[in-house]
Amino acid sequence: MKKKLVSILLCAAMTATLLAGCGSSADTAADSGAAEETTEAAAEETTEAAAEETTEAAADETEEAVAAEEEIPTSTFGDANGTHLEMWTFVELHGQHYGKMAEIWNEQNPDRTIEITCTTYPYGDMHTKLLTSLEAGTGAPDICDVEVGQYPNVVAGLDQWLVPLDDAASPYMATMVPARMQTYQGEDGHYYGAPYHVGATAMYYNVAAMSEAMGISQDEVIAKIDAVVTWDDYVALGEEYKTAIADDSKYWTSVDTGGVDWLWIAMAEYGEDWTGGFEGPANVQLDSVKNMLSMQQEWLKSGLAQISPDGHVDLEAGFQNIMDHNIVSFPKALWYMSRFTNYMPEESGNWYIAKCPVFEVGQKCSVGIGGTGTVVTQQSEAKELAAEFLCWAKMSDEGEQNIWDTLGFDVCNTAQWGVDAFAHDDNNQFNQYFINYPYDVLNEIGMDNIGKISVVAISPTINEYACTTTLNEVLEDPDYSIDDALQEFQDAVDLEQ
Amino acid sequence: MKTKNFLYSQKVAPYVFVLPFILSFAVFWVYPLITAFTMSFQKITATKTAWVGIANYTKLLKDKVFLIAVANSAKYMFFTLVLLIPFPMIFAVLMDSNIVKAKGVWKAILYMPALTSVVISGTLFRLMFTEYKTGQMNLISQALGFGTYKWLKNGWSGMLALLVLACWRWTGVNMLYFLSGLKAIDTSLYEAADIDGATPIQKFFRVTLPLLKPTTIYVLTISVYAGLAMFLESYMLWAGNSSPNNIGLTIVGYLYKRGIEKNDMGYACAVGVVLLIVALIINFAQLIMNGTFKKED
Amino acid sequence: MAKDKHRDLSHSPSHIVKSVLGTGFFVILCAIIAFPILAGLLASFRPGTELIRRGLAIDLNPTTMTLANYKYLFGGNADSIKYFMWYKNSLLITLTSVVLTLIICYFVAYGLTMYDFKLRNFLFTLVIATMMVPFEILMLPMYKEIIKLHLIDTYAGVIITGLCSASTIFFFRQYLSGLPKELLSAARIDGANEYYISVKIILPLAKPAFASMGILCAMGAWNAILWPLLVLKGAEKFTLPIGLNTLLTPYGNNYDVLIAGSMFGILPIFIIFLLFQKYIIDGMTAGAVKG
Repeated sequence: MKKKLVSILLCAAMTATLLAGCGSSADTAADSGAAEETTEAAAEETTEAAAEETTEAAADETEEAVAAEEEIPTSTFGDANGTHLEMWTFVELHGQHYGKMAEIWNEQNPDRTIEITCTTYPYGDMHTKLLTSLEAGTGAPDICDVEVGQYPNVVAGLDQWLVPLDDAASPYMATMVPARMQTYQGEDGHYYGAPYHVGATAMYYNVAAMSEAMGISQDEVIAKIDAVVTWDDYVALGEEYKTAIADDSKYWTSVDTGGVDWLWIAMAEYGEDWTGGFEGPANVQLDSVKNMLSMQQEWLKSGLAQISPDGHVDLEAGFQNIMDHNIVSFPKALWYMSRFTNYMPEESGNWYIAKCPVFEVGQKCSVGIGGTGTVVTQQSEAKELAAEFLCWAKMSDEGEQNIWDTLGFDVCNTAQWGVDAFAHDDNNQFNQYFINYPYDVLNEIGMDNIGKISVVAISPTINEYACTTTLNEVLEDPDYSIDDALQEFQDAVDLEQ
Repeated sequence: MKTKNFLYSQKVAPYVFVLPFILSFAVFWVYPLITAFTMSFQKITATKTAWVGIANYTKLLKDKVFLIAVANSAKYMFFTLVLLIPFPMIFAVLMDSNIVKAKGVWKAILYMPALTSVVISGTLFRLMFTEYKTGQMNLISQALGFGTYKWLKNGWSGMLALLVLACWRWTGVNMLYFLSGLKAIDTSLYEAADIDGATPIQKFFRVTLPLLKPTTIYVLTISVYAGLAMFLESYMLWAGNSSPNNIGLTIVGYLYKRGIEKNDMGYACAVGVVLLIVALIINFAQLIMNGTFKKED
Repeated sequence: MAKDKHRDLSHSPSHIVKSVLGTGFFVILCAIIAFPILAGLLASFRPGTELIRRGLAIDLNPTTMTLANYKYLFGGNADSIKYFMWYKNSLLITLTSVVLTLIICYFVAYGLTMYDFKLRNFLFTLVIATMMVPFEILMLPMYKEIIKLHLIDTYAGVIITGLCSASTIFFFRQYLSGLPKELLSAARIDGANEYYISVKIILPLAKPAFASMGILCAMGAWNAILWPLLVLKGAEKFTLPIGLNTLLTPYGNNYDVLIAGSMFGILPIFIIFLLFQKYIIDGMTAGAVKG
């Protein structure tokens, strides 16, 4: 009997919540929000009145309710009479970016208005769905976000699948970071993807923790950080920190067994590329890779570095490690800023961003990592308009402004980098969070000092072998022969090319 | 009237019953199966498809990573059979006896893990097995004085994590199968055994176990395939499809890697066909040995 | 009746010891099993950043707990509207597919078990074989087929391919094969036709199988993600798992809504479990054969 009662209660609860859900979806989001505030603020009277209102409203506005229900969740923006574009993404904020841009576009182009529907899919499955629909020849959207790791599979279809963006991007090309545009080039040399961000790597330093451990002011710490040019300088500063803190459980940095960022930095500095680009062949036995790995082995042996818990810093354990101040510096792309603001609010005001150290003075000091290229598919019925809108939304001044404000990326159009209102906006959450202005670091690096590692068909094989095998061998056992590990690595890669 | 008699005859009735399956098979399975099989003999790139004969299969045999995946899946399957058949069966028998109180509560709790979305349970287990000091496994090992351990970076402990996750998710479900299987047993048989003075253990081996055989065969068959085809558990624990030294790589994980991540559907289909053949061989051997295909008396 | 006999013994001291041991065993087992869920439930009452900060800590301190995640989830904002829309879609798909799957699979299994006909073993082999094919390799051709059948972007397209669920047919077959065949011949002698027997005589005896398969199918349908995602387009048609998965991105996870949403998402299947599992309890009674 009891069981029955419980289940009936649960049923009732579920139905009630469902109805509540449907009910509120009938109103617009703003309205129900307001209604809630009033109910909370005022006493019973208001509630009664509100209840009466709702019943009346419900009776009158059934038709409207249905219309509203369809409108809200699909995230359709722009002019209902304009050309309809369908867009897929795996990050909801990206979709909102296009929505906002569509409204500005319609104001500027009243003769060519658009209506855009942005659908957010789960990350992995969106790419599966896109590839399936491209292969099937039907069902693909007009515009689609493609994560850079998945990009080789999509760009493999070249102009049979995708629309070249060369013409649409040409007005902005002069000031776009070249390395980023090239990342999304196809084998035929055309640009098929529009980037959101540079993903420039920089060094993040915990100035507050360093200052406390070393017993000097934050400004003094910053002066020391600014004086770091080479990896030797970086190691020297690290040793200073280690000596000052004298605690075996605290490290200067952590090295990754589950990510290749450190190796990418090394390659960019030496101007090498293990994928070999489109011409190939891939070669992982590079000086840059060897130097970086042997340097890291030294660090592990001397206790300067630890291995990132669970493989890299962009995971739950990595965030904990940073918040526990077990490490006080690490290199990561600038998009990692959002991890700080989202997951580590307590660290606000502690961190400083600086250029990455180099092996030899005069080398490039950054590399673009990660990213999402947005493509226009050949299945679109308004290819030219879609391409033009896409490039405008991702490369124009208006577009870059919104990308920085809402997505917090280091934008690819360098025309904006020096604009004071853009780079030094104190309302921006990232400008508030970090000690220095992120765009000052970017300007200091300069667009020509940002290297590029190609993302081609062999890339997934290389990344995967490095993360599953090579890095584990070399770093989990710092006495492991780097030459042997790289030979194994090369053999595994050769099997696939 | 004629058609009615025709449809009602004992000869025709079985075909009427199985018709939905025949239709569904013809419409939804024949074409995809043939296509997938054909694709396994092709090299499929974005823009063209070429016939390569058995090249995909010969490459598979030489592919070290695939062999690791097969070994992992086989090991996992073996241990899940050992853990997820006898124990849930015993739990079900206990649950069916009169010595356990508040049965509904336990059944509900045991069944809960299977309901939890994999997204969330993956996150929870990753946090429990993290090598960082806050993970539950490391809290236990620290309390015992062993310090922290890299659970998800070593072969044995990685497999342990997978098995813990598997037992957590599926014990309740398998118990449920056995519970309903127990209900198909005619209780008069137990009464007869009672009259003969059988002990509870004798009753279990002489009445319960033989009569539970159809259910056991079912659980065995699906567990063989589920073990060989495991992917999600690994994906959840390592937050993706790559694990250090491939300790968590499985056959379907490898298929996914090839088919989806590298978009090499031809090779992926070859992996899938091999999996199908292996699973079929094991299961048909087992089903024939158990007499499932024999005519009923 | 057997059960009454047991009851007579239930006051003996040895029975009490057994009962304590048996119940105690399940208490411990369930405590272990419930731990992650409990931890998840507790985490849903805290901001997502706490989970990152401290890991999966069991902390019952009420002052740090907050209903904020649930308030947000039920708050009528855009996320909440979407959540309940997905919830509704999932309920619709799950209920429809469970009912249809159970009916279809029962009759197919009935045909395969109760009759001795030419194609029997061949068809049964096919049933087993379809269970063993990894879906990933069928995905692309099946997708093309659904387009040709004009079922793309419809719930029918999501449901139809799974209606003849091989594992469900197999389970029913195993269950039915355990039932005494005398029931059939007895009914035939009484003049009942084949279809009447399958519905009125055997089906009631298969209640436990229906219940456990109902639970299993509901679970499968409720949690299915890949196929619904391929077939459906547009957020307004999404199911709950698809929607929840959109909260996990390479750019960061929205744990606030994700955990609260997932925990609340257990509810419908749990209710189905509670409703169905009592039928597992009323199985065959002693001497059903004689009836």
